[in-house]
Amino acid sequence: MVARGKGGSRSKAHREFVSEAEDILERMRDDLSVVAEAVEGGRDADPDLINRLFRSAHSLKGLSGMFGFDAMSDLAHHLEDLLDALRMGRLPLSDEGLGLFDDSITVIADALGETDDPEQVAATESRIRGLVERIESWNAAPDEDAVESDSLHLSPSVLRALTEYEEHRLQENLNRGRGIYVVDVDFEIASFEEGLAEVSAAIKEIGEILSTLPSPGDTPDSHIRFSLLTATDLAVEDLAARLDLSVDAVEVGRLPRAADADPDPAPAVDSKSENAEPKVEPEVVVGPEASPEQPGHETTTLKSISDTVRVDIKKLDELMNLVGELAIQKGAIKQMAMRMSGEKLTERAGSELDKIHRALERKLQELQAGVLEVRMVPLRQVFDKLARVVRRLRLDLRKEVQLEIRGADTELDKLIVEELVDPLMHVVRNAFDHAIESEEERLEIGKPANGTIRVEALQRGNDVVIAVSDDGRGIDADHVLALAHDRGLVSREADLSRKEILELIFQPGLSTREEVTETSGRGVGMDVVRSNIASMGGIVDIDSTPQLGTTITITLPITLAIIQALIVGVGEHLFAVPLNSVRETLLVDPAEIQRSEGRELLNLRGDPLALRRLAEEFHLEGDSVHGKPYVVVLGMGDARMGLLVDRLEGQQDTVIKPIQGPIREVRGIAGATELGEQGAVLVLDVSALVEDLGRRSDP
Amino acid sequence: MSESPATMETGSWDVLARAAADRSEGEESIVLQELLAFGLGGDLYALPVERVREIVRLRPITPVPRVPREILGVISLRGEIVQVMDLSLRLGAGASEPTRRSRIIVLHGDEGEVAGLLVDTVSEVLRVSDEAFRPNSSGESEFVAELCERDGAFVSMLSLEKVLSIGD
Repeated sequence: MVARGKGGSRSKAHREFVSEAEDILERMRDDLSVVAEAVEGGRDADPDLINRLFRSAHSLKGLSGMFGFDAMSDLAHHLEDLLDALRMGRLPLSDEGLGLFDDSITVIADALGETDDPEQVAATESRIRGLVERIESWNAAPDEDAVESDSLHLSPSVLRALTEYEEHRLQENLNRGRGIYVVDVDFEIASFEEGLAEVSAAIKEIGEILSTLPSPGDTPDSHIRFSLLTATDLAVEDLAARLDLSVDAVEVGRLPRAADADPDPAPAVDSKSENAEPKVEPEVVVGPEASPEQPGHETTTLKSISDTVRVDIKKLDELMNLVGELAIQKGAIKQMAMRMSGEKLTERAGSELDKIHRALERKLQELQAGVLEVRMVPLRQVFDKLARVVRRLRLDLRKEVQLEIRGADTELDKLIVEELVDPLMHVVRNAFDHAIESEEERLEIGKPANGTIRVEALQRGNDVVIAVSDDGRGIDADHVLALAHDRGLVSREADLSRKEILELIFQPGLSTREEVTETSGRGVGMDVVRSNIASMGGIVDIDSTPQLGTTITITLPITLAIIQALIVGVGEHLFAVPLNSVRETLLVDPAEIQRSEGRELLNLRGDPLALRRLAEEFHLEGDSVHGKPYVVVLGMGDARMGLLVDRLEGQQDTVIKPIQGPIREVRGIAGATELGEQGAVLVLDVSALVEDLGRRSDP
Repeated sequence: MSESPATMETGSWDVLARAAADRSEGEESIVLQELLAFGLGGDLYALPVERVREIVRLRPITPVPRVPREILGVISLRGEIVQVMDLSLRLGAGASEPTRRSRIIVLHGDEGEVAGLLVDTVSEVLRVSDEAFRPNSSGESEFVAELCERDGAFVSMLSLEKVLSIGD
C-alpha cells in the first residue's frame, strides 16, 4: 500500500546491513572517544585502539561495498588510509583529525538512516564527497620528521619478521628513549594461550609489545616458546621483577641501541614459584633470534570479545507491553479476590484467589525486572556524544573547556537514554557557550584559565540523577528578573526568592542571552529541556551561585515502561496519578478548607497547601458536593499542591501510552493507560499541574 | 479482533485493482482507486481506502478535557490510545447520534499517526477511475474538495488533511 511504502520496502538483508554497520560505528565512536581523551590529556593514543579503528574502518568498507553503497565505502576507504597514516606515524593526531573522524561517522550514520528519497541520497553523497576531499587534503599534509632507521642492533631475521607498522612502533619507542627488550617465554602447548595472555597483559601495564614472535629452539615437544619484542621505560631488573609478579620466572635480554655501550644481558631472576601453572622456563637470549618463516605475530584474537546479544528494541517493547497487560490481568484477579472474600460463601475461594494473585505478582515482578534489565543501557553512549560536542565546540569557539565525566556506567532504559541526548546536549552547550567566561575574563578574577564542565550520573533508588555543573559565571538573578519583568512573565510587585527567580529560566520565552548564538541553538530554551524531561516523568532543577557556577540536575525514573499509579475518581471520570509524585493522601472535611485571595488552602501541619479541584481544572461534573473530598498531595521537586478529588480507587501498575490523534498535546495530561474494564484512563501530568498552579499565583 | 467482519482486507482489493488495470491495458489506461464510502447525516462521503487501518464498532469513549468539542475523547485499541473525532460536528452539522450502525474508522497516515473518525454507517468499498472525480464547484465546504461520480450520483471526497488539522 502506498501509505506504508516508506522504509518498509527495504529487505531484511539491508536491515541487517544497517544494524551491523551501526554496530561498527558505535565501536568506532567508543574507541575514538578513548583516543580523544588521550590526545586531550597530551598522551599518545593507545596503538591497539588505532589498530582497532583501522579494522573497523576496513570492515565498514567491505560491508558497504558489498551492499553497493559506493560513496560510503569510498569514505571508509579514506578513513582506512588516514588511520594507516596515523598508526605509521606519518600523521600526528590532532583535534582536526579527530573532527574528521567525528564528521565521517556522523555522515555515515546519517546515510544509514536515510530513505530512498533521491534528493536526500544526493545530499548525503555530496557531504561524503566533501569529507573525502577534506581527508585527502589533510592526509597530503607533509610528513613529520621521518624517524632514523637502523639505529638498532636487531638481527635482519627479526627485522624481516616485523611488519611496516611494527617497525614504526619500534622506532617510535626508540625515539622516546625507551629500552627495547626481548622477553622470551616458554609455555606448555596445552595452556600457552592463557600464559601468553598473562605475560602480555603484564607487559602492557608497563610498556608496549612491539611484536610477538614464535621462536624455535630447544623446547620439549609439549612446549612452545615466544619472543616478545618489548619496549618500556623500566630498567631491565625492574622489568624482570614486574613480570615475575605474574609468571614464575622470565629472563630478559636487552637489545642494545647503537649508542648504548652496555650490551650485557640481564642477570637471571629468581623464581618465586607461587603459581605453578603455567610453567615458564627461564631462557636467556643474547643475540636476538627469531624465525622469519613464521608469519604469525598477531596477538589480537579474532574471536568476538563481546558476549552481548543485539535485540531489536521493538521486540522488547512488545515484551514490555505483554508484561503490562499481564499486570492488568493481575489487577483484575486482585479485584475479584477482594469482591469474593467479602461474601461468606465465596470467602474461601476468595482467599485462594488472593494466594494465586500473590504468586502471580511475584513471578510478574521477576519477569518485569528481567525485561527491564535487558532494556538498560549505560549512559556512556550519551556521554560520549557530549564529549564529541565539547570537542567540536572547542574547535569552533576557540575556548579551552574540559569535560569531566563520572558515572558513565550508570544504566537507564534505552528509550530514556535516546530521549536524553538532546536535552543534555543543550545544557552542556549552554554551559560551554554562555556560562564559562573567556580565558582573559577568568584569569582576571582568579579562576583557572580553562573552564570545566562536569557531568555526573548516579543512581538513587529508582531514579537516576544526572548533574551538569560548570565553573562559569553563574546566573545573574537580577538580570533574569529584569528580563522576566520586561516580558511580563512576572509582576513587578511579586517578591520572589532567588530560587524562584532561577526557576524562571524554565519559562517559555525567557532566554538570558539577548543574542541567540549558533552554538546554543535558535529559540530552543531551557523550557524545552524541562518539557522534554517532564515527558519522561523526570524533573529538572537548577542551582547557581554568582561567580562560582551553575548546576543543572536532571532526575529521571530508571524506566518509563511501567509505573505505579493512584487511580482517582471525579464524578464518573477516572484518572491515573503517577505514584512517584504523590506525597500523601488525606480525607478532608470541607469545613477545613480555607480561602485566601480567592484561592483554596489547607493547613497541612502548619504549612499552607494550595488546593486545586480536579473537577474545575478539567471542567468535569463532580459528585460530592456534600461528601468529604480527598486531597492528593502532589510533589514535584520542592513544589507541593493538593488536588481535590471525589474518590480514591486504589493503586495499579500501569503502562503509560502516548495519545494518538489530531490534538498533539493536552496540557495536564501525560498520556493514557488501559485499565481492564474501564478502557482508556487518562494519566495526569503532575509537573504541568504543579507548574500551572505556580503560574496562576502570579497576579 | 472481534470486529473482523468489518475490517477491510485491503490486500485482496489491491490484487483486484491490479487485475482490472491489467485487463484494460492497451485500450485506455484506467487507473482504479479504492474508496471507502460511509454515511453521515444521510449524506454519502468517501475517503481513500489506503488511509484506513481498521473499522471498529462504537465503544465507550473516555472524554479528554481541554480539547475542542469535536474530539469526543480516546479509546483503547489493544493498548493503543487513539483520539476519536465526531466527524459530523467537525463538518459543521450537529453532534452524531450513536446507533447500532455507528462505526469508528481508524485512520493511519504516512508517518504512522493514527486517528479515529466516528461516522453513522460504513457502506462499501468503491472502485472508481480517475475520470470519476470532479472538482467541488459549490465551494461551500472546506472539507470536500472533490466529488466522485458513481452511477449518476455524487459522493463527497473527504479532505482528510483539512479534517485532521484541528489541532493546528
